[in-house]
Amino acid sequence: MHADLANTLQADKKRVIKDKLVKYSISSGGALVLLTLLLIFAYLLYVVSPIFAPVTIEAKKEFAYSNDADVLALGLDEQNEITYQVTADGKLFFYSLRDNDLGDLLLSETISSSYTAFAKASASAGAYLFADQHGRVKIFQPTFSTSYPDDLRLITPEISYPFGSAWMQIDALEQKITSASFELAEQSAAVAVVTADGRGIYYLLTASENIISDQLLWEKQAVVLPSLPHRVDQMLLSPDLNNLFVRSGNNLLVYDVSDIADIRVKSAVTINAVDADVTDMQLLTGASSLMVANDNGVISQWFEVLQDNKRTFTFIRDFKAPDNVTAITPEYFRKGFLTTDSQGYLSLFHTTGGTRLLTTKLSDNGTFLAAASPRADAVLIADNSRLRLFAVDNDHPEITWSALWQKVWYEGYPQAQYIWQSTSASDDFEAKMSLVPISFGTIKAAFYAMLFAVPIAVSAAVYTAYFMSPAIRSYIKPTVEIMEALPTVILGFLAGLWLAPLIESHLPGIILLLFSLPLSILATAFICSILPRNIQDSLSGGYHPLILIPVLLLAGYLSMRCSGTLELWLFDGDTRMFLTNELGIDYDQRNSLVVGIAMGFAVIPTIFSIAEDAVFTVPKSLTMGSLALGATPWQTLTKVVILTASPGIFSAVMMGAGRAVGETMIVLMATGNTPIMDWNIFEGMRTLSANIAVEMPESEVGSSHYRILFLAAFVLFIFTFFFNTVAEFVRQRLREKYSRL
Amino acid sequence: MITLATPAADTQALTGLSAAQTALEIKKLDLYYAEKQALYDVSMKIPKGKVTAFIGPSGCGKSTLLRCINRMNDLVDSCRVEGRIELQGINIYDKSVDVASLRRRIGMVFQSPNPFPKSIYENVIYGLRLQGIKDRRTLDEAAENSLRAAALWNEVKDRLHDNAFGLSGGQQQRLVIARAIAIGPEVLLLDEPTSALDPISTLTIEELISELKKKFTVVIVTHNMQQAARVSDQTAFMYMGKLIEYSDTNTLFTTPLQKQTEDYITGRYG
Repeated sequence: MHADLANTLQADKKRVIKDKLVKYSISSGGALVLLTLLLIFAYLLYVVSPIFAPVTIEAKKEFAYSNDADVLALGLDEQNEITYQVTADGKLFFYSLRDNDLGDLLLSETISSSYTAFAKASASAGAYLFADQHGRVKIFQPTFSTSYPDDLRLITPEISYPFGSAWMQIDALEQKITSASFELAEQSAAVAVVTADGRGIYYLLTASENIISDQLLWEKQAVVLPSLPHRVDQMLLSPDLNNLFVRSGNNLLVYDVSDIADIRVKSAVTINAVDADVTDMQLLTGASSLMVANDNGVISQWFEVLQDNKRTFTFIRDFKAPDNVTAITPEYFRKGFLTTDSQGYLSLFHTTGGTRLLTTKLSDNGTFLAAASPRADAVLIADNSRLRLFAVDNDHPEITWSALWQKVWYEGYPQAQYIWQSTSASDDFEAKMSLVPISFGTIKAAFYAMLFAVPIAVSAAVYTAYFMSPAIRSYIKPTVEIMEALPTVILGFLAGLWLAPLIESHLPGIILLLFSLPLSILATAFICSILPRNIQDSLSGGYHPLILIPVLLLAGYLSMRCSGTLELWLFDGDTRMFLTNELGIDYDQRNSLVVGIAMGFAVIPTIFSIAEDAVFTVPKSLTMGSLALGATPWQTLTKVVILTASPGIFSAVMMGAGRAVGETMIVLMATGNTPIMDWNIFEGMRTLSANIAVEMPESEVGSSHYRILFLAAFVLFIFTFFFNTVAEFVRQRLREKYSRL
Repeated sequence: MITLATPAADTQALTGLSAAQTALEIKKLDLYYAEKQALYDVSMKIPKGKVTAFIGPSGCGKSTLLRCINRMNDLVDSCRVEGRIELQGINIYDKSVDVASLRRRIGMVFQSPNPFPKSIYENVIYGLRLQGIKDRRTLDEAAENSLRAAALWNEVKDRLHDNAFGLSGGQQQRLVIARAIAIGPEVLLLDEPTSALDPISTLTIEELISELKKKFTVVIVTHNMQQAARVSDQTAFMYMGKLIEYSDTNTLFTTPLQKQTEDYITGRYG
């Protein structure tokens, strides 16, 4: 007896251990799932967060330089190891910025001891020009060569003269040059000068290669600029050598110099801000945008805009610096720039982002000279005989909240727009990374998919659960559920390569189907209802589909057969052309209709399965209760069954929507991936998920593009999270109301 | 060995009912579930304005018979009925009879309360709404009258628009009765209406049944012989699909003619 009791207790102990074991393993499993989700969330945020991190600037190095003349220009090599200065006494100095020999003079050369004008080419060209009183110019270029003695990187400064170290005669009349501008392009270069007697000369150098010696031969042409104003304050040549900007006070003349035989003034505009005078103007990289600085701190952006079939130079947006801007310095490869002002402030801007990123006081004695490093990771300041290097952390200036979610006026576009265009062939391209078109595309794809899937799936679910005979139901339900396991890549493949061309060639038939199928169903139902009673009785028990399916197939076949005839009769033989020309509706082969059908097929099993369960589990007692009150089966269905099943049907629809939003392969293969914003069912779209799939392989790790794609993933996550949360919330509320389970 | 009673003996008190006194007449009813026969040659008259109880052991066919009366058995695919049930002389199994309107005249209350997931008010007027009645006053009146008739009005008059699931089991069952009588049926079928309820609720429902017979013909199926004795005027005892004995309740419980009846009411089986 005693032993028995002991045994029982022991057995109980085992049970307790098992119980605990199961409890803990299940809890830890659940916790792991949550943890994984949180980790995904955290990782996405970790990758995305640098986009929104504030710009920082930090003093790194400083030394006093020995030359005592004013500094005209400053520059840096790509590694921020060597700096050069062009000084007012016509000399070029190279100093070291390396830690071990900071401030050492590495090389210096006198370029011109007597000059009358100085000019800079664009930042990326990195060339300078001196002009003299005999109408001659000398172009020089501080360059850096990299070698690896003893496997260590060594950067050595050099001075090169692209057109030789001798003076180059520009003005045949040998007049003094008072103002100059120049630009180097591939295989060509141009110099624009103003002479003391008020002539403007445009001097074009075109290279041709000697086939035998590989030497460059420069062909030189000079033309006098027409209608030059008396006073010329500043001249700028665009790097593509198409435009020459001449500023006279607050007025700007834009010359079209693309054809040297036909140089003319394209436009003349007044470019100062209200109640202010222009102090400087610079071209951003890519040369589309002209930035104009004013003495009240306003910097305005201008570029050519196509309006009424005419390119006009248009004001786009402005920025505000703290005070009188003395100089604008564009960044090398981005649409960013920095300004210095008379109060000693340095400000960083970016045009796409549309914001001032940073303002900091760097100098106490007002005006100073600043230069951006080629990689935009440092700023160099020459001020009061000291050179100072600042490290700048400004990796993603183009991404701001407004650039992501608001309309942005991109260079060359007629107005502000939502655009996604992350890359192009050219380096000085302005990346357009608005998440609006792809978010829109996601919603559009899901919308059309749901438009197709919800009526079919929910009606099928109701029919299967409520009317179908149990024998047929036991086949139909598993079959539809197996469809869910169909790889979506197959659906996408079929949609893109079979369905899309089919719809394109049978468009009238497809539209006809929209009418012929419901009508044939109704007609069949009507015919059934007037059949003699004994035939009807033999059909009852859920065998109606057996009659309906052949009818639907026939209606479908006839509609498709009629397509060609209809096209000839109604649409002049080509529906696509008719849509585009007569109705103004664009038609893409891979469009929302194709995606709606294909993705509809993908989400139908999800919706069907959950909704069918919901309808089927409506207690039979409710159905019976309703029927016993004299309700017809149809009344019972609409007034009791669907009402009671509504939480389940709703969550089925939301689960379907969640799946449609996140679906990738079908939209990738069947949409054309055009990031446009248009509800037109005959045009494509690009969704967040497809966008990530398409662009992730080509994005550089750590770049703005890369981080934006993670942000898109994050947005997608929010989308599905939103759908599922709403689904769950509403389901709970409905369940409280309508269900007693 | 059970011997079959002669019809003359068991229905003596009721064969003589005149047409005016008869609510329903069942004539030679046989019922099959697929190949299996569930009712054998049942014939009886159910008097108007009285409570008739069907008793018998589980599976004897009493609920099946009840469901025949408003054709709820039609919902069972394999069910087949032969014979007639006449409501005011019309065979309800005739092809010309519309089942929905039939059920409007013969209401039914089920074993466990089955209110719809709607408010109390909407539950009561459900049947009227089905008939397309929209007039607010008619509906309000019908709701109040039915709830009063079901002895529920005082308990729910302040929360008519609350969800019906907030009511207790007994209240729900009375709500279901109110819902059934709101459409003004002639016959009310109660299928073990108290089997899912506690004793106090059961008592309330039983009192209600005695009230209901003033307006309706009530047919009740019950497991509980005491209940049958308490509430019914006539009792029919069924066994294995056959109507064994049918007479007024007093007679059946005190001096049953058939041995099976006696065995059953004295608790030998069941």
